[in-house]
Amino acid sequence: MSSYDDWNKLDDDEDVELEDAGYLEGNKDVILFCIDCSPSMQELYDDERYEDVQTCRLFTALEAAMQIQKKKVIVGPNDSVGIMLFNTTRRNEATAGQGAEIKKGTYVYQPIATIDAPKVQELMRLLDAVRDKPKLLSQEFPPLTESRVPMGDVFTSCNWVMRDGASKTAVKRVFLITDEDDPHPGPTHDRLAKSAKTTLEDLLQAGVTVEPFFISSEDKSFDPSKFYSFVLSPTNVIEDAESGGAVLPESISIARVEDLLSQMRFHEVPKRAFFSTRLQLAEGFVIGVKGYTPVTERKKGKHEYFYDLGDRMVVAKSRSIMVDDMSHAYADKSEILSGMTLGKASMDEEKEDAEQAVGVARVTQANMRPFYTQDEINSFRTMGLEPMIKLLGFKDISELAYEDNVKHSTFIYPDEMTYSGSKRTFTALLRTMVRKKKIGIALGLARRNSTPTFYAMLPQLPKTDESGWDDPPGIHLIPLPFADDIRAARVERAYQANSELEKMARAWIDKITVRQGGYPPDTYPNPSLAYHNAQLEAAAFREEFDAESFEDLSKPKYDMIHKRAGQLMRAWKEALLVDETANTVTETAGTKRKADVTVNEAEIRSMNDYGTLAKLRVDQLKDGCQVRVFLDAQLGNPRCSQALRNAHEFCKSKSLPSSGKKADLMERVGEWLEAHP
Amino acid sequence: MPAERAGFTVTMFLVDVSPSMGKIREVEVPDGANGESMTVEMTNLEYALQFVKLKVQEMIYHGRKTEQCGLILFGTDDTDNTVNEKNGGYEHVSEYIPILQPDVRTLAKISGIEPSETTGDAIDALIVGIETQQEYLERKPSWTRKIVLITDGESPIEIEDWEATVSKMNALKISLTVVGVDFDDDELPFHEQGKSDIKRTNESFYHTFTSKLERGVVGNAEFALQELARPEIKQVKSQPSVFVLRVGDVESRAEEAIEIYVKTYKYTAKASLPSIKRFARRVKGDDEDESRMQLDDDEDKVIWTQLARRTEYFIDRGDGEEDSEGDAEDERKGDALEKVEKEELVRGFKYGASYVPCPDDTFPKLPTLKGIEICGFFKAKHFKRWQEMGEVYYVFGDTDKAMQQVALSSLVKAMAKSEEKFAIARWVKKDGGEPKVGVMWPMTIEGQMDYLMWVQMPFADDIRNFPFGSLDKLVSKTNNTVTSHPYLPTKEQESAMDRFVDEMDLMNAGEKNEEGEREPWFDVRLSYNPALHRMKQALLHAAVVDDISKNPLPPPHPELTKYFDPPLRVLKRARDAIEECKDLFKVREVPAKVTRARKDGHVRARDEDEDMLLLDKTAKRPPTSSQMPTTQRAFASQHAGPSPKAKRKPEARSGDDSSATESETEPESDAEDLLVNKGKGAHLPTPTRSPEPDRGRASGRIIGNTYPLDDFRQNIARGDVVTKAVEDLGDIIKEVVAKPFASRRTEEMLQCMRVLRKVALEEDEIDAWNAFLRQLHEVCLESKPGNKEFWTHVQGEGRTISLISKSEASKFGGTSDVTDAYAAEFIHQQ
Repeated sequence: MSSYDDWNKLDDDEDVELEDAGYLEGNKDVILFCIDCSPSMQELYDDERYEDVQTCRLFTALEAAMQIQKKKVIVGPNDSVGIMLFNTTRRNEATAGQGAEIKKGTYVYQPIATIDAPKVQELMRLLDAVRDKPKLLSQEFPPLTESRVPMGDVFTSCNWVMRDGASKTAVKRVFLITDEDDPHPGPTHDRLAKSAKTTLEDLLQAGVTVEPFFISSEDKSFDPSKFYSFVLSPTNVIEDAESGGAVLPESISIARVEDLLSQMRFHEVPKRAFFSTRLQLAEGFVIGVKGYTPVTERKKGKHEYFYDLGDRMVVAKSRSIMVDDMSHAYADKSEILSGMTLGKASMDEEKEDAEQAVGVARVTQANMRPFYTQDEINSFRTMGLEPMIKLLGFKDISELAYEDNVKHSTFIYPDEMTYSGSKRTFTALLRTMVRKKKIGIALGLARRNSTPTFYAMLPQLPKTDESGWDDPPGIHLIPLPFADDIRAARVERAYQANSELEKMARAWIDKITVRQGGYPPDTYPNPSLAYHNAQLEAAAFREEFDAESFEDLSKPKYDMIHKRAGQLMRAWKEALLVDETANTVTETAGTKRKADVTVNEAEIRSMNDYGTLAKLRVDQLKDGCQVRVFLDAQLGNPRCSQALRNAHEFCKSKSLPSSGKKADLMERVGEWLEAHP
Repeated sequence: MPAERAGFTVTMFLVDVSPSMGKIREVEVPDGANGESMTVEMTNLEYALQFVKLKVQEMIYHGRKTEQCGLILFGTDDTDNTVNEKNGGYEHVSEYIPILQPDVRTLAKISGIEPSETTGDAIDALIVGIETQQEYLERKPSWTRKIVLITDGESPIEIEDWEATVSKMNALKISLTVVGVDFDDDELPFHEQGKSDIKRTNESFYHTFTSKLERGVVGNAEFALQELARPEIKQVKSQPSVFVLRVGDVESRAEEAIEIYVKTYKYTAKASLPSIKRFARRVKGDDEDESRMQLDDDEDKVIWTQLARRTEYFIDRGDGEEDSEGDAEDERKGDALEKVEKEELVRGFKYGASYVPCPDDTFPKLPTLKGIEICGFFKAKHFKRWQEMGEVYYVFGDTDKAMQQVALSSLVKAMAKSEEKFAIARWVKKDGGEPKVGVMWPMTIEGQMDYLMWVQMPFADDIRNFPFGSLDKLVSKTNNTVTSHPYLPTKEQESAMDRFVDEMDLMNAGEKNEEGEREPWFDVRLSYNPALHRMKQALLHAAVVDDISKNPLPPPHPELTKYFDPPLRVLKRARDAIEECKDLFKVREVPAKVTRARKDGHVRARDEDEDMLLLDKTAKRPPTSSQMPTTQRAFASQHAGPSPKAKRKPEARSGDDSSATESETEPESDAEDLLVNKGKGAHLPTPTRSPEPDRGRASGRIIGNTYPLDDFRQNIARGDVVTKAVEDLGDIIKEVVAKPFASRRTEEMLQCMRVLRKVALEEDEIDAWNAFLRQLHEVCLESKPGNKEFWTHVQGEGRTISLISKSEASKFGGTSDVTDAYAAEFIHQQ
């Protein structure tokens, strides 16, 4: 594991607070893609991305489904996905399990099952074949040309497919993809709409939610009011009581077909609250809120242990038990008590000790209990508080320092379902805080297994920024560090730049400042995670992983930086090199060495030529090496190679033992000089 | 106070064991379970030794090799010390524990100290202590020397020539703490009644003595013990790391690219809670070894051993294909799991149902180059504070080089100038390490230094764009914007909130500063982590006392809870505003819905003529077809009277935690709905209509009394509310059998129980069933009115309806604490 992961490593023996990611990823999620196959969905047009390639909406929808599968399989390896098509004449075999008896005009292409490599590959193969031969799709899934399947039948089929394939406890969703805003025009409209509504309700009763993705285009914009707002809205709105005042439930997406995938990405993780608790504004003045985590670090999947049964591999389940190290007896869970370490008894001491048979142990009278029960421990951890967020008062927003941070924040939104009046109270609070430029200070125990934490409550009004990011209304709870978490600065003084240098720095900084917006998270996918997942996928597909084609998007855009600011950066560097303060010889123990360092390259070179390099002191060598590299870098000497930068790093390190390393240094300097005649 | 170097300390404890220390005192301990005040009796020696033990325990807690201590007793019957060996004299002073790094046995030894028959001289002990320490630290002059003297001051001291001792101690930079039992203390306040003359003289001597020391203090033992509970921050020095801060392409465009050498330090680092170890009684086997029998001669001793964690692996050979569908798996749990050794297993990742072996822990890593690279800048005003993800770092210019400092300073100053800018910076901690992206902001201290601070920001993968509805734009079905609605605050409400926010302001609610102005209340730098210090206090306490039940943990130090409530003066000031808000906003707790809202969605069609808000369905919906039975059920349960059993799971929602919507015990799935269902209490949201009168109904249930079995089956089919359904059905059965005319429903209830037991067994609600059955037994036989007849019917069902036993449970992969024999016996209990 990388050093980053070690930073936050918790004691193995600890009751680790529920990892934030766990609540999102511990659940099983089932998605049934329900894709329209009508002629309009299959109508071929030229692909925007490739020349001479034709595509159709159905193709894009299937491709998006495939991408989502690939993505989901990595985030939640236990998640299930299925694909059902409608408005096609293709029928399932009567005997084929799921979907055997579903309504006419609907077809189960992939029954709901845990995502696995062969199935994703099957879909990929189909898509590849279609890309070569676009007509293939309409042969594979012949569209219903003269009529459309009643939407009611579609929902009924979804229901059956879900019932057969999805586990009871999973979060079940149907992603409905269609470009037809009025599937049943004419006299049957009302009747079919009503039946669609009824069957949709059945679906909802079975615990399945429908998330529609409507395809809109320039020629034909999708008008949900024709059919779908009647069918979807009432139920969906109730289903999610939090939706605001929009006409349609917020989960509806209407977009161009090209944006289908990105729209689906938003819905990839079902919206789920991290906690639901009370916000106490004052004694007796309490509202309900739900907490979400809009920012959580996503990590690599956990590795598992597998056992080879010969014909297949099975996952080994792990169970952690507590044992007495001396007697190797299992401890009964209900009897285990907690306390602090007794210290480690060193082996030889133990031998002499009369208590050797006891090992690390504590002896008391039989009726005494020198350790705590789990309940007692919990009450210490929580300080006896119940889960709640308790407002302590308000402060100016300027009191919230950037550096008072230890972990990601959570986001709270009023919950009318636990306390009526929560929304109006929350809204009034939010508006007032924003208007007065205030933050709240709160004490909170977000969940029963958390520890008390102080939070800054940062209000946020809805706003759409330039990057298209929607800031929803609500309050961010930023956990504040405790005194215990803050470390003092170890550096108290440093040389400062004059205004000339500052101006020159400002010149190049301005050139590489983005004009609009702030930090753009979307621009930076996690490269190491992507690298890992790409390899995982290649291995699952039994393909070669092509490291060459991997691009680290978090790297700076060098071309852009140099194009815009290169000259200015160079000018700043040249000014820095001759700057008076910058060339101050520091009044530290190293002063003398500094002075000595003025051995220039020519001197070193000649010493090397005459074999007198060894006459230099180690620190001169170190610094000589270092200064060279630095000057080279600063002056833009392209000869400053990677190897030398490494050498430099090496030299720079003050922890370097000065003895025995001189030869290395000499060698290094010698090598460099040889390589750069 | 400058941070002391952690560790590198030898503390000598000098403990007075003169007979007077054996005097018994009463010590108050925290109130008992029922609020009665409790005291325990102990000797002065035991009392004072608590201080020593806590100090020693803290050393064990730190676990530093360089934190050592030794213990010398004075007033011992014999003599055993280094000064006596060399020069004679210094009698009745004995080295009890040589200087070492303490562990649990040290504590055990301290517990064994008992008062003697002889008195000893504290100054003799002090000199022996200084000598012993000096011998040990001969070659370690930089170590910190501490001496703690524990005494009741009742024994005579030869005080001649004490100035020489003082100068010696000052020369050796020894700090002395005198912990005096019942010494007078004006601040505590404490003044001992009937103090002996000798003690008075000694006390004043100690005061004189320590006042001449450069590092000396006398304290009352009680006060000293109190002070030990004060939170103390464990000083950690940040370790610097050296990096190159780069701008541009240093490889191929080095003439333009910038490199600045920087040092980074942590600014914030989450302090972790003290680690807890697990202990259990060692079970005494038959072959209990002789040695131990000798060790603890009486049978009544218990040995507590520290447990180690071990992970075991099991596989399920099953039969069919690998099927990770939850249900299928649960059902097959009957096929006993087979234990396998870790060595037989292959490491890998799951790719859905596929398996990807990866024996080396991880795939090849992304090749990266150590360093901090600036990707660009943005305007500070666009910074989203809430996106900060982790701990914060200082980034200083290389502390040894002026040029690097100046380079960084010019960058920082330029960033901080008029329109402040932040840098986007990608940080790789070591070659091949995982890159993190963060932002750096400028920090300048005028005329002193400039530096940057870095904090991690989210990658695209870390962000979740959950959709949330607008809070103030409500649109009706006819597409009109709604301006007045229960979800929207009125003008009046807004101005009340305005006052509330003003009155609750903390900016001038803190302590007064030197100018007499009040500072803001709440300072991060003074807020101790209550859990951390409380746990530490608890762990230290447990190490010192032998029985937690008799001697419970004292309350937390006030420092820990000082920020738990708003300051009193603010509350006082805001009282009117708070009352006004309560009156105007009228927030009410909502009763849990009886049926899930989404189920009765279709009623919407009925009130379509109303110009109703789409989002407001739940608020205005009249009782609907599917809710109707509820009313009847409620009626029925009213007849039953307030059943004590209606209160379930009190531990989960006890006290004022009525809306505790935690769902730890529940499967996490569908958490939101569970949460909604679990609440209990008053009413429908947003009372725009007059409240409904059916208060007596069993709120919060998902199963009604009328057709419990049907309701139950429906809920089980839904799958995600199993726990709740099992719990509810159990409660209903108990209610029904306790009612008059219950006999009419006997067969129905028995049927319910059969189904309930089956579900409980299969769905791992075994404990719930066992608890239910025991309660039912109680309801039928022990409470009034009871229903003995029903229990007889239950008994008629025999073993198959009894408690679920271990062996039964394990067939379904569950666990139970009931033995087969007991399960068989239980059902026949009268």
